[in-house]
Amino acid sequence: MRISRRTLLQTGTASVAGTLLMPGIIRAQSSSDVIRLGVAAGGPRSIDPNQTTQGADNWATEQMFEQLVRPRDGLFAASDDEFVPTLATSWEASSDGLTWVFQIREGVQFHKGFGEMTAEDVVHSFNRARFDGVNTAVFGNIQNVEATGQYEVTFTLRGPDPLFLGSTIFQNGASIVSKRAEEEKGSDFNRDSIGTGPYELVTFDTSSGSRLTRHEDYWDGAANVRDIEVVYMADTTARTLALIAGELDIIEAVRAPGWIDQVMQRDSSLLVDMTNPGSFMTLHINLTQAPFDDPLVRKAIATAIDTDAVANALNPMGFPTISLSPPHYPTGFSREQLPEDLRYDYNPDRARELLSEAGHPNGIRFSANVSQREDYRSTMLIVQELMRPAGIDMELNVMDHSAYHGANREDQNSLALHAASYPPVPLDYMMRYLSSGAAVKADGTGGGNYSHYGVAMPGVDDKLEQMQLATSFDEYVSVGREIELQVQEDLPVYGVMTLGFTAVRSSRVDLGYEVNGGYARWRFHRATKS
Amino acid sequence: MARYIFVRLLDSIPTIFLVFTLVFIALRILPGDPAIAVLGDYARPESIARFREQFGLNDPLWLQFLKFLKDMVTLNFGNSFTKGVPVMDLIKYNLPYTIELTIVAMLIGIAGGIPLGVWAAINRNKAPDVGFRTFSLIGYAIPDFYLGALLLIIFALNLGLFPITGAGSGFAERMHHIVLPATTLALLKIAFIGRLARTSLLEVLGKDFVRTARAKGAREPRVIYRHGLRNALMPLSTGLGLSVLSTLSGSVAVELVFNRPGLGRLLIDAISERDYPVIQAGIIIFASIVVVVNLLMEVVYALIDPRIRVK
Repeated sequence: MRISRRTLLQTGTASVAGTLLMPGIIRAQSSSDVIRLGVAAGGPRSIDPNQTTQGADNWATEQMFEQLVRPRDGLFAASDDEFVPTLATSWEASSDGLTWVFQIREGVQFHKGFGEMTAEDVVHSFNRARFDGVNTAVFGNIQNVEATGQYEVTFTLRGPDPLFLGSTIFQNGASIVSKRAEEEKGSDFNRDSIGTGPYELVTFDTSSGSRLTRHEDYWDGAANVRDIEVVYMADTTARTLALIAGELDIIEAVRAPGWIDQVMQRDSSLLVDMTNPGSFMTLHINLTQAPFDDPLVRKAIATAIDTDAVANALNPMGFPTISLSPPHYPTGFSREQLPEDLRYDYNPDRARELLSEAGHPNGIRFSANVSQREDYRSTMLIVQELMRPAGIDMELNVMDHSAYHGANREDQNSLALHAASYPPVPLDYMMRYLSSGAAVKADGTGGGNYSHYGVAMPGVDDKLEQMQLATSFDEYVSVGREIELQVQEDLPVYGVMTLGFTAVRSSRVDLGYEVNGGYARWRFHRATKS
Repeated sequence: MARYIFVRLLDSIPTIFLVFTLVFIALRILPGDPAIAVLGDYARPESIARFREQFGLNDPLWLQFLKFLKDMVTLNFGNSFTKGVPVMDLIKYNLPYTIELTIVAMLIGIAGGIPLGVWAAINRNKAPDVGFRTFSLIGYAIPDFYLGALLLIIFALNLGLFPITGAGSGFAERMHHIVLPATTLALLKIAFIGRLARTSLLEVLGKDFVRTARAKGAREPRVIYRHGLRNALMPLSTGLGLSVLSTLSGSVAVELVFNRPGLGRLLIDAISERDYPVIQAGIIIFASIVVVVNLLMEVVYALIDPRIRVK
């Protein structure tokens, strides 16, 4: 048979088109055996919970590792009695609060045949967190940790801590790992870690992501869904389209005004999971710069910002705050609980009066840096517009996210917005934001106290020390609330809102519990997929 | 010819050295501390100090530069700050994806651009020419990231013909994954190569030897393809070289939009994380590719036009 050039061309074109299109036509939604999760980052850094420095990596570690105690799924524990036994079955503190004894659960198996967890593994895990982790300071209150039996561990503290479980035991770095596995794997443990959680690692690829599979010997019953895939997708458009197309089952949301509405318009069957609070969005006012050294100017700023409006603009992720801590945190205040003069209800006319009293009858003008990241930029743009009618003209310099934090750490900002997620352990964020020891320094060696509170306005350190020495939860909360009121009076930091950490989920996936609070990741051990 | 290539290689050494120096200086004046970028914005001062010490960021700049030069010359790119793995492993993994994307985009660009350019040239000022010029204007005007998102929405999301993310495994799956990203890059290539082919061919077709060929009674296809197109190759080969380089740079946005692995995406992530070793290695690889492509272009000139070799 003679084949003409035209026939050859047509056949060739049809073959190529067929090859290219076939997989698309036969493409099906992802299998019910796997949950594919799209996270907002370029690639994983580490799978060792003691070394992770990127929030997105914790989605995988959350499935692979456990601590001695945990809060209930989908919640934070606001006090120690809200924690539930996990790898410890019970615990007891001495009357002076300096000694804690934990009974370790028997029969818990590590992944990949690394044997049963014992007290030695627990001691090893805490020692590496104390001396060799990325967050060693969190464990600074532990003076000693030792195995006092095959299934018993005793902690000796330097000072009492009524929130010891929340501040120290339930930390990512305190995840229990296999001592034998770490000794055998050496530096590879960073990419092939062994824990006790419901999923174990299959592959860890620094360019694409992690794949986990069910830990069949999990002590609390094997998970329902066989595999978990954590796919790293920094680009928000690609991540959103992949969810809508069914290539991904869950994605980390974009915390920008209108994003959730847009996604839900495209597919109304999607489900939204959200923590409250998520990130604390706090404005740090630099007390060393004029005119912010004047308390009247700071009060004018607080009065000029309608925090309800800011939270509404980020609806449904934004939640208004009225003081440094969210209302349902141990030291937080609701609007009704605060004295009227410390509520700073939105009133631009009153803000103008305050500025006039401070010697600025024509208002004030200043510039502030802000990160280009969606949540930072959109929040500050709203704040900028809200303050304008009060005569506060803020010029914003939008910067790359790393450059922004670098500049903040070198004391180069006037009104610095900071977003961070904290558990209900008030001393933790109060030390970071308020103590003189954490004051920012121009050479970059200081901490995250961008307002210079405690240095420019001394006094708070004594209260913080009282909080550190509190032996009871009530005493701790009482001193903490005094600090909150003082901060509300002095206004070195002003809580604008909390921004819920949000993930959008296909209706095919049922988590098995409701997400209401907690860290920015959730477990899939009870999840099912249709 | 070997001597010619050797001389050109020697010529490129100062260029590479200049790139090394500029990369080093640019990274050090770039605002943002790698320690904060890696450890997080609420890292404690003691953690930051330990990180800076560990990676030699407290050394004087001249000492850092000397170490950097030594490492680059010995191809010791070190370990990534953020991922803790050798940078060379990251390059080895990602570079083939970028090369694959560049090759496929170039092939589509050449296969589409040259015939369209020739077609426009031989139909000068007629409907095909006007149509092509309009198309090329659009091709120039649409940014890669926007076109990529548009193609994703139409062909992947709405029609479901192509996957949205990733690069696939196995030849058929990889080719299936590469269609949309390569087409995104190729649109600009078709516009650029096509316009160049059109202009070059029109210029050649106006020359005396073409008139002579026609006067001798040569058939039009022979005049166009044998006499015209062959002589239009010189400016076209320059254009193709430049096009390879612009495809490489365009791959950065496309790899992000399509969530494909690749050198561009690696570099963008590294820049946002201030991962100095990866940025240094990535830019130097890009710069080396530019030098090699330029060298190849010069070799191609020399092959096409012996007068250049003699000079």
